Amino acid sequence: MSAMGLGHSVRSIRINIINALYILMSGWYTVAKWEFLRSGMKFSRRSVLAILFTLLLLAVVSYAVSLTGMNLDQKIYSVASSSPALNSIIASDDRFDVFPTDSQDADITIAEDRAYLSGTKKSIAAADALEKVFINYRETVLSSYNDINNSHPVWVTIHDLDRPESFQVLGSVTKNDDQYSDTENGNTDGFGEHEGNSVMGKRASTTISPEELEDLENTNSKTFFERQTIATPSNFNPPIPFTAILYSFLFIFPIYFVSQFYSSSIMEERTNRRCELLLVAPLRSRDIVLGKTMPYILVAMLLLSIISLYIESPSDIHELGTALAMIAVIFPVLLLFFSLSFIAAIFSRSFKELTFAMVFFSVIVSGYIFFPAMFANVHTVSSISPMTLIVNLIEKGNISFGKYVFSTLPFYLVSLSLYGFGTAIFREEDLFSQKTIPEKVVDCMETFLSSPLGSVFALSIVSIPFVYMAQLMLIVMLFNLPLPYSIIAMIVLSALVEEIAKSIGIYTIMKRRLKPADLKTAGMLALLAGGGFFFGEKLVSVITLAPIASSAFGSVMTMGALLLIPLLLHVTTTAVTSLGMHFTGHRYYVFFLLVATAIHTMYNTYLLRGILFG
Amino acid sequence: MDKTKVYPKKIMSIARREYRGLLLEKTFMLSVLVQLFIASFSAFLVVGLTSFYDPMALQGMQMKESKIGVIGDNEGELFKLMKISDLEPVQYADFGEAYTDFYDRKIDAIINIPNETAEGNNLINLDIYLPRSELKATIVSLQLKKPLEKFEQSVRSLRTARLDGYTPLDIQIMRGNKGSSSSKLEFIYVALLPLLMFTPAFISGGLVIDMITEEFERKTLELLLASPVSFLDIVGGKTLVATAIAPVQSIAWILLLSLNGIHIDNFIEILLIVTIVSLILATSGSIIAVLCRERGTAQLFYSLILILLFMSSYLYTNSPLNLVSRLSLDSIRGLEAFTWIAGYMCLAVLLLWLLTKVVQKQHMKV
Repeated sequence: MSAMGLGHSVRSIRINIINALYILMSGWYTVAKWEFLRSGMKFSRRSVLAILFTLLLLAVVSYAVSLTGMNLDQKIYSVASSSPALNSIIASDDRFDVFPTDSQDADITIAEDRAYLSGTKKSIAAADALEKVFINYRETVLSSYNDINNSHPVWVTIHDLDRPESFQVLGSVTKNDDQYSDTENGNTDGFGEHEGNSVMGKRASTTISPEELEDLENTNSKTFFERQTIATPSNFNPPIPFTAILYSFLFIFPIYFVSQFYSSSIMEERTNRRCELLLVAPLRSRDIVLGKTMPYILVAMLLLSIISLYIESPSDIHELGTALAMIAVIFPVLLLFFSLSFIAAIFSRSFKELTFAMVFFSVIVSGYIFFPAMFANVHTVSSISPMTLIVNLIEKGNISFGKYVFSTLPFYLVSLSLYGFGTAIFREEDLFSQKTIPEKVVDCMETFLSSPLGSVFALSIVSIPFVYMAQLMLIVMLFNLPLPYSIIAMIVLSALVEEIAKSIGIYTIMKRRLKPADLKTAGMLALLAGGGFFFGEKLVSVITLAPIASSAFGSVMTMGALLLIPLLLHVTTTAVTSLGMHFTGHRYYVFFLLVATAIHTMYNTYLLRGILFG
Repeated sequence: MDKTKVYPKKIMSIARREYRGLLLEKTFMLSVLVQLFIASFSAFLVVGLTSFYDPMALQGMQMKESKIGVIGDNEGELFKLMKISDLEPVQYADFGEAYTDFYDRKIDAIINIPNETAEGNNLINLDIYLPRSELKATIVSLQLKKPLEKFEQSVRSLRTARLDGYTPLDIQIMRGNKGSSSSKLEFIYVALLPLLMFTPAFISGGLVIDMITEEFERKTLELLLASPVSFLDIVGGKTLVATAIAPVQSIAWILLLSLNGIHIDNFIEILLIVTIVSLILATSGSIIAVLCRERGTAQLFYSLILILLFMSSYLYTNSPLNLVSRLSLDSIRGLEAFTWIAGYMCLAVLLLWLLTKVVQKQHMKV
């Protein structure tokens, strides 16, 4: 009996699981199917034809443009000379507007065998351009001779040699307790001094003996821009740096287009209140969100796969793996774009607002992705951008798992929490009302705090990736301020970001009266929020740094005594905000936030006094 | 009342309503924030993208002397040339020795000079070893280019005499010691400035699509039409606001650039072009929005048209982008500029006329 009973119950459990899975799947699947059909129907035959026609026209124009050399610099310099032979040489360059006589006030006037500048900034640039024209002419004439030993006697052959990278990956981070501020300040002073020790790097990269160099040259990596390897000195051009931007553009464009449609679709549900029907249907908001998102993610992933296959054009299993790795790297970026579009579509009150929000987010995220990727292979800071991984994949064919986690984990965490918050307020009162954005943010917080696992402690931990990304963005924004100011602004602003992250939950609790308003609660909340933030910060530094720099992990362990002070700081500053609001009311939140920021700033300034004052 | 006629007063009142809506939603603030962000980016862009545009532009930057390992070179001519430019050549006996130092980062490149003389007859093939995928490779190549060119010239001065009837083009450019690269100036006036001038206009076109499709999708158009305004008044008012906010932002850009020491000539003419282009784009946006009525399709269509217009401006001299470059550099005569501006104005008027036709046709359907 017992055996039969067991068998029966196992079967019924299995059926239950299948049923549950079916119900779980079917909800979002139906919504997804619907979304697919709907977006297909949106295009009438006429608009499809019009779009196809435009695309055709675009192809024709692009082809014509590709023949011209992509220049917008026609006739920006002027040259006056009386020699017609010389004029035809100069006019071969689009940039020059050539006058036959010297009566005009030209940038450059050529008389006999001398070229005189008019003395303006433009004429100096024109002189440089003119020199290049003459060099080009010389090379063309010499090339017409069939006597290479005398016309082009010197040749240069470029070889690429591997050597270990000089920097340690974020090895300096743990020197200080206040992890983020420190990383940033290390980075703000540019890329001058990383001739550090190469012990770490040597271990990581394989040693290459000169005998193997021949092989190395044969395994040239596939890139968009085949490096020129043999040239004469005049034709010898340095390798193009920052190719990463081009890759980024190639990957970002489809994401940007698809997310436009995605946010537009969600906004439409809100403006014409069609979503109301969905909300009364027996569907959880999670299913609706998932169902509305999946089709767009699939389409975007399809486009990205095509692009990565195009870049890599795999011929064997290994290269296919590289192409797959590229998709894996770009996926978190896609997710972040989508989660931002989603949250923007839920928060904004009109299409106009949505457009601006989308432009804003795209610029911010693109900045976050482009800026560090420009320093690929140059500076450690580049490893925070997934685009650097793409560059590494294209150049070397593989990346380490640790680096992947390090640069993509913040993307995953931020986008998942954004989706979490967005889904929490995916309900009638937030979707179809004209609530202000701060109100909706507080709504998000309230739903989170009143969920079973929600507490200010957890909220502080969840906020860590947001703080991390916000502070990295700040580096980009403050990069071009003169040096002492950029660090000061950085310290103040990063303290502000951290204080907001810690106190937003407390603000919500006080404003919505979620907890009894007494002194003890206010104190406890401050302790929990500050402690949670501290805990999350340390957790992140241990998780992300351990695989990258094992020595850094060691130094975290050795500074045990120092850990108490930052914990104390985080709790104290949060207590300032919390107790301040308790005694005066939540209306004075901003004031106490600024006070807490000031204290935090003073502490950070004290820690970084070495950098600031010599 | 005739609803097909244009009433400027009503257009103005619609425009005022839209303008207030823009301010109220604080979206304008967000847009200003975006542009500020781009501005804070621009210093970085100037360095980063200039070198992307043309790596030779990095030459002007302060760079440390790179150490270069030299193998061979018995005559010592290239060695001397490297020494007088920004390089620090170090002599090595063989490649193995040099490679060890390269690996330990004591030197950044290795150059192998063969045993050929300038007077000889054979090719002189120099082997240069650079660190793979490091910025240092770019920097070293930049620093090497000049001595290499000088070396080539000195060898050529002996050897080209053997070529039949070759006389070098000998024009001395009297530039004194002001050796600045043309790339930076070209980047600022040819790439950055037109882009900054026209970005607000690009956004305006998208904005007017949002304004119009929103009325369709929220079904508020019927309500508006019930009041004594015509469809044309509504579309006209929205187009007007979208057109008007672009030059305001361009003025801000010009002021910001002037503060950064970038001198811009023909301020008024540039603003005129920006206004005309923004009128062209806003009118096109309105036409598309009125025809499509649905935001997603309209925006897609608009961005395709925008890319098309952008691409075609590469095809001819005095496209709006090129015109702004030439005007800001004062490289164009007044008459030529005036003719082209008038031409673009005609295009804008033509589009406006088309818009009124389309709106009147659609009005019947509403």
